[in-house]
Formats: sequence, C-alpha cells, structure tokens
Amino acid sequence: MTASGIVFGEVNHTYRPMRGRPVLALDGVSLEVKEREFVALLGPSGCGKSTLLYLLGGFLPVESGSISVGGKPVVGPGPDRGIVFQNYSLFPWKTVKQNVLYGLEKQRMPKAEREKRAHELIELVHLNGFEDSFPSQLSGGMKQRVAIARTLAIEPETLLMDEPFGALDAQTRTLMHEELLAIMRRTPKTVVFVTHDVREAVYLADRVAVMTARPGRIKEIVDTRPPHGDRVNYINTPEFTAKVDYLWNLVRDEAIRAQEAHDA
Amino acid sequence: MTTTNNVFVRYLPLLLLAILWEIAPRLHFVDPSELPPLSAVAKAWWSLLLDGEGKTWLSPFLNGSLWTNGVSSFINWFFGLGGSILIGIALGVMMAWSRTVEDVASPLVKALYPMPKSALIPVMILWLGLGAGSKIASIGLSCLLPVILSAYNGARGVDQTLIWSAQACGANQREVLWEVILPGAMPDILAGIRNAIAISFIVLVASELLVGQRGLGYLISFLGEGGVYDAMFAVVITVSALGFFADRAYLYFMRRTLVWRE
Amino acid sequence: MERVNSLWKRRLLRSSSVILLAVAWEWGARMHFVSDFLLPSLSSVLVRLWQDIVSGDLLVGLGLTMARTFAGFAMAAVVGVVVGVTIARLRFVRWFFDPIVSVGNPLPKIAFLPIFILWFGVFDWSKIAMVAFSSVFPVVVATWAATENVDKYVVWSAQSLGVSRRALLWQIVLPSAMPGVFTGLQIALPISLIVVIICEMTMGGEGLGGSMMTSMRFADSPGVFSGIVAIAIVGSLLVKAMELIRRRLLVWHAESAR
Repeated sequence: MTASGIVFGEVNHTYRPMRGRPVLALDGVSLEVKEREFVALLGPSGCGKSTLLYLLGGFLPVESGSISVGGKPVVGPGPDRGIVFQNYSLFPWKTVKQNVLYGLEKQRMPKAEREKRAHELIELVHLNGFEDSFPSQLSGGMKQRVAIARTLAIEPETLLMDEPFGALDAQTRTLMHEELLAIMRRTPKTVVFVTHDVREAVYLADRVAVMTARPGRIKEIVDTRPPHGDRVNYINTPEFTAKVDYLWNLVRDEAIRAQEAHDA
Repeated sequence: MTTTNNVFVRYLPLLLLAILWEIAPRLHFVDPSELPPLSAVAKAWWSLLLDGEGKTWLSPFLNGSLWTNGVSSFINWFFGLGGSILIGIALGVMMAWSRTVEDVASPLVKALYPMPKSALIPVMILWLGLGAGSKIASIGLSCLLPVILSAYNGARGVDQTLIWSAQACGANQREVLWEVILPGAMPDILAGIRNAIAISFIVLVASELLVGQRGLGYLISFLGEGGVYDAMFAVVITVSALGFFADRAYLYFMRRTLVWRE
Repeated sequence: MERVNSLWKRRLLRSSSVILLAVAWEWGARMHFVSDFLLPSLSSVLVRLWQDIVSGDLLVGLGLTMARTFAGFAMAAVVGVVVGVTIARLRFVRWFFDPIVSVGNPLPKIAFLPIFILWFGVFDWSKIAMVAFSSVFPVVVATWAATENVDKYVVWSAQSLGVSRRALLWQIVLPSAMPGVFTGLQIALPISLIVVIICEMTMGGEGLGGSMMTSMRFADSPGVFSGIVAIAIVGSLLVKAMELIRRRLLVWHAESAR
C-alpha cells in the first residue's frame, strides 16, 4: 500500500431520513486510487458520488465495507484529506487571509511561518491585494480560489473536490481548470474529484470512474491520460472528443435511469 | 422601504408635531390640564433632574428623582436582560448542538412560546417580593425565549459544509463549537437580542408600574397619582427616549459587528 | 439496528418531556420540597381552574379580556392597514408618517398607560386605546412593506393588459400584499393580548390580568397559577386560530402548498 493510496472495499451506504423509508445510496463500491493519481467520479445526480466523497473524507461514518487511506482505515475527518465544496464554504466572517490561516492555526504553526505560508498561497491563486476582503465582496471564482488556497495551506496528501466549479459560469470554469492543473503540476497530490460534467472529467483526470444511478456502483473505469502528457493541447484533438463521447454514452444510460427513477 | 436621505426633511414631521404640542394646549384646542404644553413638560423635566437635596454641587442631580430612579431601573434592566442573553445563547446553542438537550428542551420551548410572558410578573412578585428581584426575574424570563430561539435557529442554520471544512482543517469538537457554530449563529443571535431589548423595556416599565417604590415606571405612576402631569409626561418621554436610543445604539453596534455581511 | 433504536428513543424523549415535567411538578409539590404557597400542586391549580370555569368567574374574566383585546386589535388592524397602504402609495403621507413610525416602533409604549388613564379614565377605554396604540405599529410596518414590495412584474403584466388604476389597487396590489399584511396582524394579536393583560394587572378589576393580581394580593397562589394557565391556553389558541385563518385565506400562496 503506497503512502496515500486510497482503497474502497465493498462500500455500502444507506441514507436514513427522520421520516420515510431508508434508501440504499451506495451498493458495493470498490475502487483503488493510486498515490498522486487524479481520479474523477462521474455520474448522474443522486448516484452517490458526493456521498462516497464524504465517506472518504470521514464526514459520514462507514457502516459497511472499508475505506483506507495509506493503509489506515478512515475514522473521521482530518487534515490529511483536504476538501473543497461546491458552495466554497468559506467562513463569511473571516477575511481571505484569515480563512487561509485557519488550517495553519489548527496545526499550531508558529505565527511568522503561518503568515508566510498564507501569503505564498494567496499569491499562488492570484489573489494578491484581496487579503483583507470578506468573501461577500468576492466573485464566485475568487471565492473558490480562496477555498483551494485554504485547503492547500495545510498540505494534505489527498485533495477531495465536490463539484467545485459547478456554481461558476462557463468562462470562469475554464480558467479555473487551467489554474487547478497548474497547481497540480507544482504540488502533485492524490485527487478525488466529483463531477457530472463529462468534458471536465476527461480534461482534468487520469482516470474516470463512471457510477451507475442510485444505488451507486462503479460501472466502468476509463483511462483519460493524454497520450503525450500534454493536457492543454489534448482538448482540441479527436482522441479527446472520442473519449468524451465514449464516457457520455456510459453516463447517458445512467442519467436516463436516474431521471426515470425520479419521475416514478 | 423608501425614505429620503436628507435627515432634516425626514424628521421634519416630528418637529411640526412638537410645535403642535406647544401651540394646541396654549390655545386651548386641547385641555392643558390633560396635555400640558411641551415647554411646561420640558421645564418639569429640568426640575425633576435637579430636585435632589444635599450638600455637594452634584447632589441635586445625583439625588434627583430622575437619576436615582433611573439607576434603579437600569439595574433591573441590565441584570434581567444580561442574564437572559447569556443563558439564552448558551441554552439555544446547546439545544442545536446536542440531540439529547434538544429532545428534552424543545417541546418545552415550543409549548411556552405563545404564552404572554408578562403574565409571569405576578408569580415573580409572589416568589421574590416587591423589590428588584421580581423585576429582574420577570425581565429575564420574558427575554429568555426569543434569545433561545434565535440562538437555536442560528446554530442549526450553520451550513454543514462549513463544519466539515473546519474539521478537514483539523478542528476538534470544541473548536468547531466556538469558532464555527457561534460566529455562524451570530447574525440570528444579534437579531434576537434586538427583539429582546424591546421586550425588556416593556416588562421593565410594566413591572415598575405595578409594584415597587423605585424606578422610572414607579415615578410615572407616582407623579400621575399626585396629579403632577407635566412631570409625568416628562418621565414618559424620558423612558420612551431611552428605549428609542437603546434600539438605535444597538442597531449601530449590530451593523458594525456584522460588517462582513455586506 | 443501533440507529433505528436511537430514532425511537428520540421520539420518546420528545413527547415525554412535557409529561415528565408535569409529573415532576405534581410530585415535587406533594412532597413539599417548597411550601404550598410558592408552588401549589398541579392538581390544585387544575382543580381551581375547573372551579372557576364552573362558577362562571373564569368566563366573565375571559370575556372581558377578550373583548378588550379584540376591540383594540380591530382598531389597530383597520387603522394600521389603511395607513400602511396609504403610506406606500402617497408620497406626502409617507413623508409625514415615516419618522413617526421609525421613532415610534422601538418605544416601550406601555409607558404611556398613565397618560391614557389620564385621558380616558380608569375603565375600558383607556385599556382599549392602549392596546390599539401598541398594536398599530407592527400592522403599519408590515402593511407598508408588503404594499411597497409588490412584485413589479406582476403590476406591469396587469397594466399591459389594460387594468384601471382602481382595479390595479384592489385586484392586484392588495391581494399581493395580503401575506405580508396578515403576518403583521399575526404579530399584532399576541401584542394586543399582552398589553391588555398588563393594563388589567395595573388597573385591577375584572379580567384575567386583574383577577391574577387580586389573587396575588391575597397570597392565593393557586389562583395566580390558574390565571397563568388560562392565559397560556388563550394565548396559544389565538396563535393557532390565526394560523388556521391564514391557511384558508391564503390558500393560493406557495407556503400553503405544504
């Protein structure tokens, strides 16, 4: 088992609302993520991909099956698995700098070191000059960059991302893709990235795991590494389009199935 | 709601009403024994302020009716409201934090909510006598529920992903409570406190009108019974002004604390 | 299995805490942990309440209190809605009333009670005037906001369909403002009740508040507690009644579609 390799072993999860019947969200999900690999979880709404991410993050208890990171089972949230949410989840009462500093304060890093590191990260995400702004004063893209900076500050080995660019407009999203890839080149990490956008998955990930409609299972895993290691130009090639088509066809059936289950 | 930005124009109607208050009794449009002219009220206010006896030059003020009764009212108000804020926030957040506390406390809170809290004043008098104790308890109990509810709703309304983000940054349970839930609940809590401040004034005046020998409410009824109506009006205006400025001051404090909301 | 058990445990806790409290009250009083004077037993309070109902005393007091409450509330409702709508639509009226409402809202209006007694005497009219004075403010504020914030797109749609100014007001604006206006009324009614109780306590005589004060003066603690129970029941009945009326009146509104 590699240092931050992730192993999902036959993970089941049942969602139990206060009122109503329990629902099986995940059914026997097994998946391996190698160290420093970028894996995308792709599937229709309600397939449980976010749930799987939250189980990995330790925010939901693993009741059936096993999840281990670096050989150790997941028992709760921790700074080894940083998370970025779709709604940015910045502390609205803290400034940009205070948000980025939060994880470092929890690590009990000495003050001078913290300040330096926070400054580095704010620069990394191109938000110089906004250190003392509040989240309410920032655009969506800027907020997401603060969220990424905050998470990267504590140098987690694994990065969990739950549809992080879903709330952004198409142009900002494209820019954020490029920024994320640049950051990953500088500080490679193990990434588990949840999305329902097929192109985004193919563009960013090394492998894409397609999930079925609820109850979620792994349908198929597709290799999406660019043939010459160059993602930026890959996006315009016919190989890219072929990959996207292939994956879309896999997802399409599940999307229809999810739609029918919803209407039923 | 739209209003003009010019302060003078905005409050001009009040100036006009003040002028009317002066003129109408003087010209006998209304009975001046029932509505003394504004100038008489102002004069009465001034003499109340300085009607104390004593040797030092400050004595007329410090021993004067307004100051002594004002201090008495302030003590009742401060401890009643202060207690309800501290206990209310603690209870409300606890109810949101711990399922057991919520299961035990929330049916009680829901049952007590529609009851007019001022009905508790006689019980408090029964238990704690005619003095400050019953008034502080009455104010405290009346203000407690709005603060509990706002703290509860505020704490429950904190986004789950905020809590998870803090945990992924390495925060433990205690840190999540103090550094995420409490600040996250602040907007609701501060709004609930504004409500509680208004209630505290009402219960303060009501309890002092009812029983006791001290306080601004007592002073109003004492002057009324004595037929000294211009002084009575003066104290009513004083109490109203205190309520008004307390609200305005608090609003200013609230806006500055929540400056991050934009 | 563990989780299902805890779900039932929770449901049990919720429904039983009020019952447990009642039982604890009764037991504690019977055990004389505190004197009968301070905490009469729940049973003695309920018995007393029953006696008052049977003798008719409670109904007389209740009737008086309710009559004063509704009289004051009705006045506040009518005046408040009319003033609120007019403020929203006529600039001069808005200019005149805006500072009055803005300054008047946070005032502890109960302080004016001795003034009202001076003006209207010690019987019902001073109480009713006090209630109206206290309750009119939330109605004005709610009505003003609701009328001013009517969805302008709805208004534009109506105007492009050729509606007259009069019809616009009565058929479009007022119905749109109804939810907000009704919320103001829902806030004002409990205020009316509280103010009546306080007035009755201060001025004595008949009525739920007055009889509670009389009981207090005679150190008749079951009487005081039964008064509280009666007022609490009345308070929650009024709130529930308003909710029911709201659901029927606003049956078209999204919030009723639950």
